[in-house]
Amino acid sequence: MTASASVTNPNPAASSVATATRLADELIHGTHWVSSALVGAALLMWLVAMGVFLTHPLTELPLYFAQRYLVLDATSLLFIVVINTVFLGIGVYLYSRQRHTPTLARDIRSRAALMLLFMAVINIGLMANHLVLLWALIEVSTLCAAPLVARGNAANPQAVAWRYMLYSAMTLAITFLGFMALTQSAHLRGVEVSFMVDRMGESLTRAPDAWQRLGLSFMLFGLGGKLGLAPLYGWLPETYEAAPTTTSALLASVQFNISVVAVFRILQIFHGFEAGFVSQELLVMGYLSLVVAAVQIMASSNYKRLIAYACVSSSGVIALGLSVGKAAAYGVVLYIVSNAFVKSLLFLTAGRMRAVYGTNAVGPLSGVIRTLPMSGFLFSIGIFALLGFPPFASFLAEMLILSGIVQAGKLLAFTLMCVMLTVIFVATGRTVFPMLWGAPKVTVTAPPQSWVTLLPKLGFVGVLVMLGTYTPDPFNDLLRAVAVSIGG
Amino acid sequence: MNAASNPTLPLVACLIATVIPVFFGKLAVAPTWLSLQALALGWIALNKHHALDFHTLEAGLEVLIIRAGLVPHLLRRTLQGTRAAALDVMPSNLFAWGVAVALIILAFQFGDGARADVRALTLGVIAATVTMAFLVLATNREPVAQLVALLFMENALALFESLMPEPWPLPVHLAISGVYVGTVAVGSWLIRGQLASGILAPKPIEDDS
Repeated sequence: MTASASVTNPNPAASSVATATRLADELIHGTHWVSSALVGAALLMWLVAMGVFLTHPLTELPLYFAQRYLVLDATSLLFIVVINTVFLGIGVYLYSRQRHTPTLARDIRSRAALMLLFMAVINIGLMANHLVLLWALIEVSTLCAAPLVARGNAANPQAVAWRYMLYSAMTLAITFLGFMALTQSAHLRGVEVSFMVDRMGESLTRAPDAWQRLGLSFMLFGLGGKLGLAPLYGWLPETYEAAPTTTSALLASVQFNISVVAVFRILQIFHGFEAGFVSQELLVMGYLSLVVAAVQIMASSNYKRLIAYACVSSSGVIALGLSVGKAAAYGVVLYIVSNAFVKSLLFLTAGRMRAVYGTNAVGPLSGVIRTLPMSGFLFSIGIFALLGFPPFASFLAEMLILSGIVQAGKLLAFTLMCVMLTVIFVATGRTVFPMLWGAPKVTVTAPPQSWVTLLPKLGFVGVLVMLGTYTPDPFNDLLRAVAVSIGG
Repeated sequence: MNAASNPTLPLVACLIATVIPVFFGKLAVAPTWLSLQALALGWIALNKHHALDFHTLEAGLEVLIIRAGLVPHLLRRTLQGTRAAALDVMPSNLFAWGVAVALIILAFQFGDGARADVRALTLGVIAATVTMAFLVLATNREPVAQLVALLFMENALALFESLMPEPWPLPVHLAISGVYVGTVAVGSWLIRGQLASGILAPKPIEDDS
């Protein structure tokens, strides 16, 4: 079907742009400063993060403060820089969308407040040097995010937000059971356990210890659920699909990373202990996640859900990389950093497509690149980066992970991972490429997109290309330091 | 040893306050059982710290104000006037009861023989409470019942502190209390929202930035 033979889209959201803008203008009256303040706060946080990064050489780290409950080390510094950069982009995007989105204009005060609280909690959590404090802050961040998820446009967003909260509480309860088992292990050996990250290793034993293994197993299993690893991934696709796009981006790029840091902390504590056991557990969860993602992406007819399952697949790649240990550590860290920008780019672009087409379904979106050239182009770039194409950082990272798996002598693991990634590539392409480059089926009225809306997405693309082609030395050193801390 | 300083009694009280509502309780009475669990937690904390130091005071205030007072009150408000208040915490049938009994026995096996010492009994009570909470989550689709299960689970995690040689430091305490209050506050808000959206028409599709 050609564009001239197309039918008019009956969707009221797309055909009444002027009405929506007028309504938003009325609602925005008296709240226009909120999104500006949000951008100001995000900019301030980013400047502080970059300032700390530029003024603190790695040789000066770690720095302990707040009675050693907080620590600034390579891990916390890297993720503070990454999440605050992503948040600045999300804040600018939200600012640019407020004028055209009545629901956003109405809710902007509460959403901005919750986002800032969420970011404050995550920033503190990234620096936590106490495992139980980190655990509690991850849960608090979920409690801040649940009301944001409930602002979505799903049939019953509160029910989705409730299930998100419930899953999170359950996975974190399993993690806590791990803490209990470690305490019992230490008690039975007559050792006092401290949950301070830098001291906890002293209470571990190299001798076979069932309680210690149980504790480690529960902690990784529970945190794997927060990362969206199978089998506890059920909350992720539903939540990412139902939440507003900025919230999906926050969850996928910011909250995901605090869970990654929690896993890194466990690996740092267990450095030299139970390496084989950790490897086995991560390997199983990683493969399960890749298989689940491959099957679900094949069956997906919804582009937001497809991105969500791609997040499950990314978690699987990360788990597989971590299971190899030293050989793939740098690749894993680069992959995680790159993924934060890829996911944000995809979700924010998906938000624009939904705004224009009024649906998350792939069917009516044929020929996006002709109707929305810029969004179509950015979505293509996001998908290519997600699938690990050059010149993006994810390409380099996946290559490093795969070569690490080969170096570790796990050829079966290498083969299986290649097969699963190929299936995911084909399934994603089969769904997304006709959506982007097919003949348009409907005619839609696309409201103009301001350069401010495009700015954060173009920034994310710039970061992805930069990480894949030329990584500045200070940042590269930081990535290496984190890789070394997790056994690289 | 007098009854007040016997550490076994508050642990048994805590277990009873968990098991009875799961087997026989209605959701309307769940806030009262939560208060009783909290008082048992307070009793355990008092037993552990005989002198009135800063931590005892802080733990006592947390238990009285937050766990025994504020959170049950918020839960009671959520339950007011809802159909869910008249429902069981866990569906009453022989299968669910059988599973619950098996889980409690297993929990005390996990506690390494509950009669061995107070530590083992504490582990058994924690494990029993957590497994009961998971069982309620698995058998009851009613959001209020699931919220009650989460709160039971968090009380069990709070009981874990009594196994530590030193009490949690203040920042950890504050964060855990924040999680407890946040769970009931956000959970109640979401549950009321679900009830309201069940009555209202679906929202029109628009930009969801």
